[in-house]
Amino acid sequence: MMQPIISFQQYSFKYKNQSEPTLKDITLDIYPGEKIWIAGPSGSGKSTLAHCINGLIPFTYGGEISGSLSIAGRNPAELSIFELSRTVGTILQDQDSQFVGLSVAEDVAFVMENKAMPREQMKRETAASLERVGMLEYIEHSPYELSGGQKQSVSLAGVLSTDAEVLLFDEPLANLDPAGGREAMQLIDDIHRQSGKTVIIIEHRVEDVLQQPIDRIVLMKEGRIEAVGAPDEILASDLLRGCGLRPPLYVDALRYAGVSLEGVQGLSRPQSLGISGLGERLDRWSEQAAAQAVSRPAEPLLDVRGLTFGYEPGQPVLKDVSLQVGAGEIVALLGNNGAGKSTLSQLITGILKPQSGSILYAGREDMASWSIRRRGEAIGYVMQNPNRMITQHMIADEVGLGLKVRGVPAAEIKERVAGVLQTCGLYPFRNWPVSALSYGQKKRLSIAAILVLAPKLMILDEPTAGQDDRHYQEFMDFIEQLAEQGIGFLLITHDMYLALEYAQRAVVLSAGEILAADTVASVLSRPEVTEPAHLKETSLSLFAKANGLASPERFVQAFINAEKKGKKGYE
Amino acid sequence: MNRTGSLYVTGNSLFHRLDGAVKLVLFMAWTVMTYMFLDLRVFVLMLVVGIGLLATAGVPFKKMAFLFWLMIIFTVLNGIFILLITPTFGTRLTGTDTPLIPLGYNTINAETLFYVLTLSAKYLTLLPITILCIFTTQPSAFAGSLNRIGVPYKIAYAVSIALRYIPDLTEEFRSTLNSMQARGMGITKEDGSIAQRLRNLSAVVVPVLQSALHRIDSVTNAMELRGFGTEKRRTWYSGKEMEGLDWTLAVLGVLLLAVGIWLKVRVLKGFWYPF
Repeated sequence: MMQPIISFQQYSFKYKNQSEPTLKDITLDIYPGEKIWIAGPSGSGKSTLAHCINGLIPFTYGGEISGSLSIAGRNPAELSIFELSRTVGTILQDQDSQFVGLSVAEDVAFVMENKAMPREQMKRETAASLERVGMLEYIEHSPYELSGGQKQSVSLAGVLSTDAEVLLFDEPLANLDPAGGREAMQLIDDIHRQSGKTVIIIEHRVEDVLQQPIDRIVLMKEGRIEAVGAPDEILASDLLRGCGLRPPLYVDALRYAGVSLEGVQGLSRPQSLGISGLGERLDRWSEQAAAQAVSRPAEPLLDVRGLTFGYEPGQPVLKDVSLQVGAGEIVALLGNNGAGKSTLSQLITGILKPQSGSILYAGREDMASWSIRRRGEAIGYVMQNPNRMITQHMIADEVGLGLKVRGVPAAEIKERVAGVLQTCGLYPFRNWPVSALSYGQKKRLSIAAILVLAPKLMILDEPTAGQDDRHYQEFMDFIEQLAEQGIGFLLITHDMYLALEYAQRAVVLSAGEILAADTVASVLSRPEVTEPAHLKETSLSLFAKANGLASPERFVQAFINAEKKGKKGYE
Repeated sequence: MNRTGSLYVTGNSLFHRLDGAVKLVLFMAWTVMTYMFLDLRVFVLMLVVGIGLLATAGVPFKKMAFLFWLMIIFTVLNGIFILLITPTFGTRLTGTDTPLIPLGYNTINAETLFYVLTLSAKYLTLLPITILCIFTTQPSAFAGSLNRIGVPYKIAYAVSIALRYIPDLTEEFRSTLNSMQARGMGITKEDGSIAQRLRNLSAVVVPVLQSALHRIDSVTNAMELRGFGTEKRRTWYSGKEMEGLDWTLAVLGVLLLAVGIWLKVRVLKGFWYPF
């Protein structure tokens, strides 16, 4: 019998300033060479578990420990965090914080520098590590010249140079676009197979992790281990949803189509399942479920026409971009990092001025002469991270701030703030300090602070980034309610599932040009659109193709309809 | 400024190859020399040497134009104010008074004019060496060489880490400011009085500061997990060992400083006025 490399026995942990333990009665053995995925929603304790493995607990975050933990046969509390890092190499979620060097080479060499390795040897080993992750040609680059995925590869190279036996990935997909996420999972898998190291992945994005094989999934919920099992077992059961995680879309689609999943093999990958007659069954289902609700043409709120912009003459960042958003419509603006999405939103909010083209508001008024402030009253812009928008101490003050600087009388401010807080479900907290809110509530607060100015259109930048499935759905349902009241939304995102489920239309931007503008299902079923924009074909359409369905697009549409019906059913 | 936040211009001149710490020693010796004297002959000599070194470094003028003009404007303004406010100050240094330019309320004398000339030359001698040090030193190599001349590595590394994250913070500041501007809390004319705009600016500091603190927390974790601060000493990837040239120039710098001190004490004691 092999000895486990990491072994938790009835292990519990309580942070110093909390009353409840965050980890409760964890018993888990991880064996050398395994590839383990620890899954769970935010607050399930999965990050805390990661901190116990890499030593941030107890060395940086103190607290009470009971039970036992051994890593490579030793108790981590008796080692130092650095000694432990020779066994467990961690790749953090935030690639920018992890990347401390001024260049790729320096970042990879950071551990060796700290070990006081002679320079010559260091240079050799740095080059060798970069070679292993395929980043050698970037050795002189600065972090600003790299994409999120490349930064992550550099971090991995740095960890590989330490010869740690365990590689711990803390939410490796959090800041990557879909194509970047796929490459990251591929790289992790390559390294796992070549080196035979133990790989532990902490994530909540189910479908993205399952792109590569996993040995065991550890499902966590409220500080406990809910289930441990092979991916196929876990997917066939309905445990994921119970743990606040989103099963792969094709698995849901099978359920909607009434296909029994019991005993089905190979569910973890969207390939042919070998269930007899499955293709025909699904085709029949999609035929009747794919009927598209005819959307009435909405009155256009925002009409962008032929926008061209560049910082330097002759190098346009945006080329002849046109798009429309109607009242009450949710439109997704999809595209990879650097495609020009944020430039476009800065043009709409007036921070940048276009070289040519025009932006019409409510279908007729040219906004060219509008000031940023006036545009801000018509079009609200909400940043990805709410903490970056909140400046006041008290919730009501934060919401009322935009009115106050506009000289609205105090009585009216109070009334409008109360109204908006009610809409956003924050009214009970109106007299609370901002710091008492959760991340999701802060996100709502940042919307409330814009909503109070009564804009007809809102631009949301990556509205769901970093949120787990439950918070994500809560937040997006809230946005849908607002849309029903007639507010138009432009979602800037690289999350295709967000677009798929909530947007009526998708506009795909790549290298400054509009590649496609159509229903989301159709856009995401077309590889000639998804590839250049660093999107992925959805697992739904891959699944449809693998199982020989007549029309992948129709299957995707049937799924979206079933989702919507399901949601209405719950209400 | 490039995106890494440093002003480094690649090249292969003497100054580029020189060790960062040696450059620091030379810079300090140079500064002490400058402040010690009030003698135009010394400054002219130093200016000639300095400009000569700068010419060999091959830093494009466009890159240093800002610093250059800033320094020139400062020096000229400084000179004009001295002439206008204390037009006969030179007399105090030389004991003579040669009236030259009538101002109405007073007369600028030749001594003061010469004093201002000397003073301007004094400030300007700092210009070439400052530009040289800033534009030819690779920031990460500099951290390593600071460490070598005895600065504890944790402090030396702070130089490098600051350069790494300052651009991130500026970018964050800018995007927060943009979003505030749309809410009507920007810092442009239409956002209200100067006082209101200053208040708006200070409000932006809150989220940026908060995010900076958060960033410090995660960077600290990242560094700790990779063993920063566990050993008594650390090595540096960037930079190279001190070579003969470095030692020679460091010794030369110190020697020149000693000669300078001797000159100051024995020969060129005060303000040099040839007339």
